[in-house]
Amino acid sequence: ELKLADFQPATHPYAAGVYAPFADEVKAKTDGEVTVRVFMGGELGTGPVEQFNRAVNGVADIVFALPGYTASSFPKTLLTELPGVISADTGTERVQASLADLSKEYRRVVLLGLWNNAPNLLLMADKPVRSMQDLKGLKIRTPSRNGGRVLEAWGAAPVSLPATDIYNAMQTGVIDGAMIDATTLQTFKLAEVTKYVTQGMQPTISSFFLIMNRDSFKDLPDSQQAVVQEAGKTAALNANRIQLEVADKALADFAALPGKEVITLSADEAAPFDAAAAKVTQQVIDDADKAGLEASAYVKALQP
Amino acid sequence: MTTDDTNTTHPATGCGRRWADARPIQWAVRASTALSVLSLAILLLVITASVVARYVFAAPLLGSNEILQLCLVAMVALAMLPAAHGEQHIRVDVLDAYIGKYGRYAGDLLSRLIAAFVLYALAYRSGLQALDAAEFGDATNMLAIPLWPFYALIVLGAALYATMLVIQVADLWRCGVNKHV
Amino acid sequence: MSELLFGILGLVVMFVAMILRMPVGMAMLVVGFFGTWALNGERSAMALLVTETYSSISNYSLLVIPMFLLMGNIASVAGFSRGLYEAAFAWVGGFRGGLASASVLGCAAFSAVSGSSVATAVTIGRAALPEMKRFHYADHLAAGSVAAGGTLGFLIPPSTGFVIYAILTEESIGQLFMAGILPGILLTALFILAIVLITTLNPAAGPRNEQMSWPARWKALSGALPLLVVIVISIGGIYVGAFTPVEASGIGAILVIGLAAIAGKLSWRTLFEAGKDTINTSAMLFLIVVGASVLNPFLSFTHLPEALGNALQATHLGPFGILLLIIVFYLILGMFMDGLAMLVVTVPIFFPVVTGLGFDPIWYGVVSVIAIEMGMITPPVGLNVFVVKSIAQDVPMAEIFKGVMPFWVAMALCLLFIVVFPQIALLIPQTMFK
Ligand code: NA
Ligand code: NA
Repeated sequence: ELKLADFQPATHPYAAGVYAPFADEVKAKTDGEVTVRVFMGGELGTGPVEQFNRAVNGVADIVFALPGYTASSFPKTLLTELPGVISADTGTERVQASLADLSKEYRRVVLLGLWNNAPNLLLMADKPVRSMQDLKGLKIRTPSRNGGRVLEAWGAAPVSLPATDIYNAMQTGVIDGAMIDATTLQTFKLAEVTKYVTQGMQPTISSFFLIMNRDSFKDLPDSQQAVVQEAGKTAALNANRIQLEVADKALADFAALPGKEVITLSADEAAPFDAAAAKVTQQVIDDADKAGLEASAYVKALQP
Repeated sequence: MTTDDTNTTHPATGCGRRWADARPIQWAVRASTALSVLSLAILLLVITASVVARYVFAAPLLGSNEILQLCLVAMVALAMLPAAHGEQHIRVDVLDAYIGKYGRYAGDLLSRLIAAFVLYALAYRSGLQALDAAEFGDATNMLAIPLWPFYALIVLGAALYATMLVIQVADLWRCGVNKHV
Repeated sequence: MSELLFGILGLVVMFVAMILRMPVGMAMLVVGFFGTWALNGERSAMALLVTETYSSISNYSLLVIPMFLLMGNIASVAGFSRGLYEAAFAWVGGFRGGLASASVLGCAAFSAVSGSSVATAVTIGRAALPEMKRFHYADHLAAGSVAAGGTLGFLIPPSTGFVIYAILTEESIGQLFMAGILPGILLTALFILAIVLITTLNPAAGPRNEQMSWPARWKALSGALPLLVVIVISIGGIYVGAFTPVEASGIGAILVIGLAAIAGKLSWRTLFEAGKDTINTSAMLFLIVVGASVLNPFLSFTHLPEALGNALQATHLGPFGILLLIIVFYLILGMFMDGLAMLVVTVPIFFPVVTGLGFDPIWYGVVSVIAIEMGMITPPVGLNVFVVKSIAQDVPMAEIFKGVMPFWVAMALCLLFIVVFPQIALLIPQTMFK
């Protein structure tokens, strides 16, 4: 029996849409010899931050986590976060085609599936962002270090804050807005504290993964290892699809609320954002190349 | 909740100076306390500075969270020895009268030995984690502060805590059940 | 099924360990560790131990623990808390039972800088108990009002109870703090009502003092001003959204230090002593958090919480029936266990059940904190009663327990009000967060 740990609530769509099919596929293809038991809601330990360590150390066999929370271990994986490297709808397939490039970052765990989130948008409490000028000096929550660089390039003051604190911080004016994906309008109830959403520029895109403890993986015979790997890839595609569906619906629901506005920048309006972000992307890629990560080649492989 | 007011019962009194109060141990406790209080002071200053930076200068200190979290690790890890020495813990002592002298003595010996085992296990496992974190260069996201020294502090705190418990067991043993309170 | 039995066995072992005087946090840690080892092997147990220890003691939200502890400790050593009591004394001391009411008010005010019931009872008790003795108050009324008043420390923000509840349930510390305000005021009022009733029935229990003159009253109030300012800025700051709870705790602590320094009531020595108390109490609280975080995954492995939830559902008592059952269970457990220990042991088991019944998680936080506070003054183990006993050594324990009984009834009434009118708890958090 493999234990799979996710810190999100038991009602999260992954439970039925990702993990159940994953468990079924593993069970069917191993003739019932390997079963998967899913622990949702942080039953095996709360919060996203320690998830990577839970996989490395073996609190659970398989863990859902965000590479961004342990960014120092995944500089190459996280390149897809930068504006312009992938697009949200095709990113997961492209990344899967180039997984071998990432093998150096997965020495402590086995990567089963890697997928990207819906694009990050600007969720603003009460100040609309229609141009880069509007963003000047505003305090915006950043999802990551690279996200912070992009925000700085856009003229904002990045604030780092756990995702769970965004609601209160936006409600009370501790921050003016947050750079985060649309699903959080629903899952973290951010729609209640957000008046304006801005999209249309090249977004930052966060990623998620399913990782497995090395020893748990080695304990399986080769044939079963292959089954789990294969099921992980399917899970990544399912999860990516769910993520985009939930985001689309959450954004549509938000736009339908009275007094709320979704601002979609025109190509002209987006151009300054994209120009500023492109410099950051290039800088990060150059730095990664210097650190010996062969970043340029990887990013090139991801381009359509 | 407990304050230092509950810090009045020492298990091994009435039979000479306790090893737990020997001079080198007292020094270790004092040093550990001082460093933990220093971490507390840094926590206080960083929180204040980050509020001031955000309000007065409208320039949030990116990554101050990471300093705060690691300082908290240091503060708690370094407070383990003094807390063990002062025996500041919430206990359920309602049935003390019912379990009798031998029950209390056995309980105090056993619970310390078991706790010491778990704490040594924590120290050992955190040591492996520190090595791992050093080897793979694990660091915080924004400021890239290396994590291994903080795992090492947990090793130190847990090992000292466990050792203090073992010394207390030795004191209890030397003192014997009849002088136990 | 065997896993379930294993879980029950684990809990039994945990209680036995506690009876054998193992600290509560350590007992949870030990059972969680060895239980996981037995169920899932050594690797899993070791992994749990190291990851949960690190994640607990690096938890950003838990910074409020040392900061609010420091704030209360400094307020105490600088004598600000005495100012609170004296102000309350000046305003209500002239009424029948007025000194007891002043103790309750002093406790309520000090609760707004202290997260702990014990610290509140100690701090106000040291000032109030000798005064009540001097004015020939009945021992049971004097001790009862301080022991009960101290429990406000847990309900009125900041509150260690709410912090731990928030960590266990992943609810918002800020919202829980805000939810504690009105129930705290209600409970304070009910305590004072109880004092009025006691002294009406038995005027000798709390004789009248002479009324203070108005100038003397304002002067006394000005003595309480420094701490009132800190309370308004830090707790008020959370309400208006100027600060997150962590920021509020840090600002509160630095303000108290600043004011104490200006008032010339702080030396490096006392500052260090306050810091030392803070880190020691913090270490104890963090051990409890670590213990709970290692125990809970073990309980999940055994399916125990799930099974208990199903069993409660199967009683067909309906949501309020089950809630009543849980509260009664708390009251019984409260006879034997310390409040914070009760919270960490029971919340992971009951919380999913209660929220599954459709109750509001923030509201349930308030309900369980009050139920637990009742436990803190219920014999034979009443932590606050022991604390009062340590200050007023000449008063027999039985007399103190007799004294807290009317207040216990007041708490039960308060609980009933909050169950019937959930808005008492939810109004402030809901207006704050739309
Ligand atoms: Na309080
Ligand atoms: Na009790």
